[in-house]
Amino acid sequence: MTTDQKAEEEILARKLIEGDIEAFDRFVEIYQKKIYALAYNLTHNQMDAQDVTQEVFLTIFRKAHTFQGKSAFSSWVYRVALNAVYMKLRSKKKDQSISVEDAFPSFNGAGYHQEVIRDWSESAESLMFSNETKSVIQSAVDQLPEKEKIAFILRDVEGLSTEEAAEALELTISAVKSRLHRARLILRKKLSGYFEGKQIPGVAK
Amino acid sequence: MICCKECLELLHDYIDGALSKEVEKSLEEHFQDCPPCISFLNTYKAASNACRKTLTQTEVPEEVAASLKSFIEKNIKNSS
Repeated sequence: MTTDQKAEEEILARKLIEGDIEAFDRFVEIYQKKIYALAYNLTHNQMDAQDVTQEVFLTIFRKAHTFQGKSAFSSWVYRVALNAVYMKLRSKKKDQSISVEDAFPSFNGAGYHQEVIRDWSESAESLMFSNETKSVIQSAVDQLPEKEKIAFILRDVEGLSTEEAAEALELTISAVKSRLHRARLILRKKLSGYFEGKQIPGVAK
Repeated sequence: MICCKECLELLHDYIDGALSKEVEKSLEEHFQDCPPCISFLNTYKAASNACRKTLTQTEVPEEVAASLKSFIEKNIKNSS
């Protein structure tokens, strides 16, 4: 977040605390898409994402005065949003099919790679916009264990810094880093199966 | 020289540019001699990029935006 954005957020937070309804419009303008996208990416359900967004609007409006300014305002908003998402997800627990251990590559006794690692990064780039690719990617993210998924979405999708994500999740910086690292390893493993099978002749390495 | 397993543990901080110059240099020296680690690094980054590009396309559908607007009018603006 830039210094200007931070300054604007501080003013916005202060006005919301005072119950300024115009400030609420500005809040909706800035956050509606972020909250909806976060909720949609975590629940994969339009109705659930809409419910979560409404819930967050109400909480922010009614409880702005409880914001104490100990963390950034945006981190507080993400925390409120995540709590609303947790409530939704709690009623819809799913199987999580890949374990974190499976996502680590195998090393020999000296700590060197034991298996062949194919570089499919260029074919990923060229296949990005096909509908098949999108749905494979969405289901890979969907199947991440919940803690890793949330860290991944806040950092790599929403673009929060490690510090901001740690504030929103009330975790240490090193816990956020290790969850994000595990999420990326699992996604790499899941997507490897798909992209390796799609290697473009001549580009394959 | 550091091994592949140690490289893996450093990847997150390497991408963030958060390693000390010294550690970064030994990691890059390892990469020069280790094609599997280069492939791993490229695909580690590519997986994250592909997911980001796909998920940031999430927009608020028009009907949802309309519902949210009337929700705000009814429950927030009229209640204040």
